[in-house]
Amino acid sequence: MGKNGSSRITVLFLAALGIVLLFLPSIIPRFYTYILSLIFVTALLAMSLNMVVGHGGLFQFHHCVFYGVGAYAFALMITKAGLPMWLSFIAAPLASALAGLMIGWLCVRLTKLYFGMLQISLGSLIWAITFRWYSLTHGDDGIHGIPMPGSIAGTTGAYYFILLFFVLCLLVMYVIFKSPFGMTLQAMRDNPDRCAAVGINVRRHQLTAIVAATFFAGIAGVLFVVLERTVFPDLLFWVLSLEVFIMCLLGGWFTFAGPALGAAITVALRTFVGIYTEYWTLVLGTLLIFLIFFLPEGVMGFIHEKLESRGRKEVPGPRGV
Amino acid sequence: MLRVENLYKSFDGFMAVNGAELLVEKGRRVAVIGPNGAGKTTLFNLITGQLKPDRGKVRLDDEEIGHLPPHEVCRRGIARSFQIANIFHRLNVFKNVQVSVLSRQKKSNRFFYPAHRMAVKETDRILESVGLLDRADDIAGSLSHGDQRILEIAIALGTEPQLLILDEPTAGMSPDETAATMTLIRRLSETQGLTILFCEHDMDVVFNTAQSIMVMYHGKTIIQAEPEEVRRNRTVQEAYLGGEEDA
Amino acid sequence: MILFIVCSGLSYVLGVLRVPNVAHGSLYMIGAFAAFSITKLVAGPAGFWLALILAPFIVALVGFVAERALFCHLYEREHLMLLLFTFALSLILGDLVKIVWGAEYKSIMAPAVFDGTVSIMGASIPKYNFFLLMIGPFVAVALWLFANKTKIGRIARAAAVDREMVGAVGINVSWVFAFAFVLGCFLAGLGGALVAPTVSITLGMDHNLIIEAFLIVIIGGLGNMWGAMVGSLIFGLSQAFGVLFWPQFAIVFPYMAVVIVLIWRPKGLLKSVW
Repeated sequence: MGKNGSSRITVLFLAALGIVLLFLPSIIPRFYTYILSLIFVTALLAMSLNMVVGHGGLFQFHHCVFYGVGAYAFALMITKAGLPMWLSFIAAPLASALAGLMIGWLCVRLTKLYFGMLQISLGSLIWAITFRWYSLTHGDDGIHGIPMPGSIAGTTGAYYFILLFFVLCLLVMYVIFKSPFGMTLQAMRDNPDRCAAVGINVRRHQLTAIVAATFFAGIAGVLFVVLERTVFPDLLFWVLSLEVFIMCLLGGWFTFAGPALGAAITVALRTFVGIYTEYWTLVLGTLLIFLIFFLPEGVMGFIHEKLESRGRKEVPGPRGV
Repeated sequence: MLRVENLYKSFDGFMAVNGAELLVEKGRRVAVIGPNGAGKTTLFNLITGQLKPDRGKVRLDDEEIGHLPPHEVCRRGIARSFQIANIFHRLNVFKNVQVSVLSRQKKSNRFFYPAHRMAVKETDRILESVGLLDRADDIAGSLSHGDQRILEIAIALGTEPQLLILDEPTAGMSPDETAATMTLIRRLSETQGLTILFCEHDMDVVFNTAQSIMVMYHGKTIIQAEPEEVRRNRTVQEAYLGGEEDA
Repeated sequence: MILFIVCSGLSYVLGVLRVPNVAHGSLYMIGAFAAFSITKLVAGPAGFWLALILAPFIVALVGFVAERALFCHLYEREHLMLLLFTFALSLILGDLVKIVWGAEYKSIMAPAVFDGTVSIMGASIPKYNFFLLMIGPFVAVALWLFANKTKIGRIARAAAVDREMVGAVGINVSWVFAFAFVLGCFLAGLGGALVAPTVSITLGMDHNLIIEAFLIVIIGGLGNMWGAMVGSLIFGLSQAFGVLFWPQFAIVFPYMAVVIVLIWRPKGLLKSVW
C-alpha cells in the first residue's frame, strides 16, 4: 500500500520546498524571514495540538498552557537559574511534558466536554499564577531581552535553527502518525469503546499521546523564545489556545500536514491584514464562519477530497490520511 | 468455560438484569433469546466489562471477571461484536482489523515502526476468512450495513478470542446475508473451535445454529437447555415463543 | 451577583441549545458599551434607568440578527462547530465594538440615589452593590418562573431534551432555539449594563468574563440555573477570600476552587440538565 505516483510527487515537492526554504533568507527581506520563522513555530504548535485533537479526538481546549510552560521554563532557566542554553533547551520541553502528564492524568478520566473544561480550568489556574507571580515571572510585563548565543541571535541564525528543529519534529511526528501507536490513536478517536473491547487501554494510550503532544508544544515554546527573545502571559491565555484550534480546523484536522498549513495561512493573514487594518480579529472571525459553513474539513481536507475523487483509479495512498 | 451466576443490575431503580444465569461450555454455540428489553444486551455488557454488576458473579474458567474493565476482559480471551455497528468508520477495512490484531500482539504502543507493514498476514487471513479481503482498501464507513456487521465480527476475531460474543449479528440483514453470516459463524465454531455466545431475534437462525439456548424474560433466566427442550417448554411458549412462526 | 445574571443567561442557552456560547462575553461587553452610549445621550439618572432597560434589548437584537442570519443554519451540525461559530461571533463582535466605540476606556456613573453605603451586619456595602445583590435573586426567580411555568419555557426545556419529538409535534424548533438564544443575549446585555457603573468599560471585558462565566456554569452543572447561582457564589466568595488572605494572588483562588470542584465532581455540583 502506498508505493505509487502520489507519494513520489509528494517527496519531490517536499524536497523542492526544502531547497527553497534553505536559500530563502539570502534573497528575501529580513522581515519575511522573521515571518517564516514565526510560521514554523506556530505550525509546530498547531501540529502538536492536532496530535491529540485531530488524531486523538480529545478536547484539548487549552493546549497553549504547555506552550507557555515550555517558553517560560526556558526563559526562566536561562535568566534566573543561569543554566546553559543547551541544558535549558532540553529541560524546558520536559517541563511541558511533565505538566502535560499531570494535567492529562487528571483529565483523561473524563470524557469529551468535561475533559476540555477541566483542562481549561487547570490551564487558567496556571495562567493566573504566572500572571500574578511578579517576582518570578514579571507578570504582565513578561521577560524581555533573553540572551541567546550569537549564532542564533540574529534573524537568519534563528531562522535556520528553528527550521532545523521544525523539520526534525515534523519527521518524528510523521513517524508516530504512521506507527501502530498513531493508528490506534485514530481508532480511538473514531470509537474508543471498540478499542477497549479489543483490548486497548484507552486511557493510558491517550495519556501517552498527550505527553508526546505537550512535549512538542514545549519545543515550540522554546523556539518561540529563540525567535522573540521574550515571554509574556498571553502565551498561556485561552484565546491563543482557541486560535491554534482554529488553525487546525482551517488546515484540516484529519490530515497530517493540515494544521501546519492552517498555521501558515493564519500567521500570513494576520501579518498582512495587520498592515491594512487593525481589525484582524474581525477578519479572523469572518474567515472562521466561512470555514464552518463551507469547509468543515479544512483546506487540506478539501484538497484531499478533490484528489481522492479524481484519482479513484489509484489506490488511495497513505500520504495524508 | 463461562459461567454467569445470579447476576443483578439496575439502572435508577429499573432492574435490567434480575437474576440471570448462564453456562457456556467450551466449543459450543450458545444463544440467548428473549423479547426486547429482556436484558440481553445488558447481560452482554456485564460480561464484557462495559457495566459492573450490582450483585452476582461472572466467571471465566474459575476467574472472576465481573469487575474488570473492557480491555482486561478482552485480554482474557473474550471478544465481542456490538448491536449497533461499532467500527472505525474513518479508517479503511484493513486498518479496522489491523488495529485489533496489533492490540492482540501488544504492538499498539510501538512508536517507531510504519504500521502498514505490520501484521499484514494475520489481518489478511482474517479478512479472507470472513470474505472481506477484496474490500480491504475501502473506507469502513462506506460499506453496506451487512458488510459492516461482518467487519464487526472480523474486528472481534482480530484479538484471537476463545469466546466470541455476538450481539444480534444478523440485525438488519437481508435473508441472504443472514444465511451467509450464520454459515460463517458455524464455520468459525467448527473449524477454529471458537466458543460462540450470541443473542438474536431471528428464531430460525437461533434454532438452526445454537446447541444450547438460554431464555431471558424481564431480566431473569427462565431456562437454559437444548433447542428441542426449549421449544417444548410451556413457560417459554407462553412468554415468548407464541409468535415462533413469524420469525 | 453580576456574575450570576450573566451566567444564568449562558447556562440557559447551554441548557436549551446545548451549545456553550463563547460570544456571551462579547454580548455582555456590548451591553456595557450600549449603556454607556445611552447615558451619554440622555443625561442624568433617567439615562441610567433607560440604559438599564434598553441596553439588554439592543444586545438581544444583535443576538437575534446573528442567530437568524447564521446560527440557525448550523443546528444540524455537531456541537463543536456550533461552539466554534460562537467563538467566531465573539471575535467579530469584539472588533465591531472597537469600530463603533473606539479603544479607550469608558465609564459611567450610577445615579446619585446610589451614592453612599448601606450597613449590613456591621459591614458597609456600597448602595449600588446592594442593589445588585437584590436584583440577582429577582432575576433568578423570574427566569425560573419563565422556564418552568410559561408555555414557551416548557417547550424550550422539552426541545433541549428531544428536539426531534418537539419538532414532530408541530412546533417550530428553530424558533424555540432562537428565542432561547435571544433570551440568553438579553441576560448578557443586562449583566453588562448593570456592571457598567462599577468597572471601567474596556475592550478586554469579554475575554475576562467569558472564562469565569464558563467555569461557573461548569461547576454549577451544565444548563442548571441554580447551579449557576451556586457557582457564582463559590467564585465570588473564593475571590473575596483571596483578597483577604493573599491579595497578590487573589485571582488564583477562584480558579483553584474551580479545579477542586471539578476534580471532585467533574459534572458539576448540581444535576446537569442534559
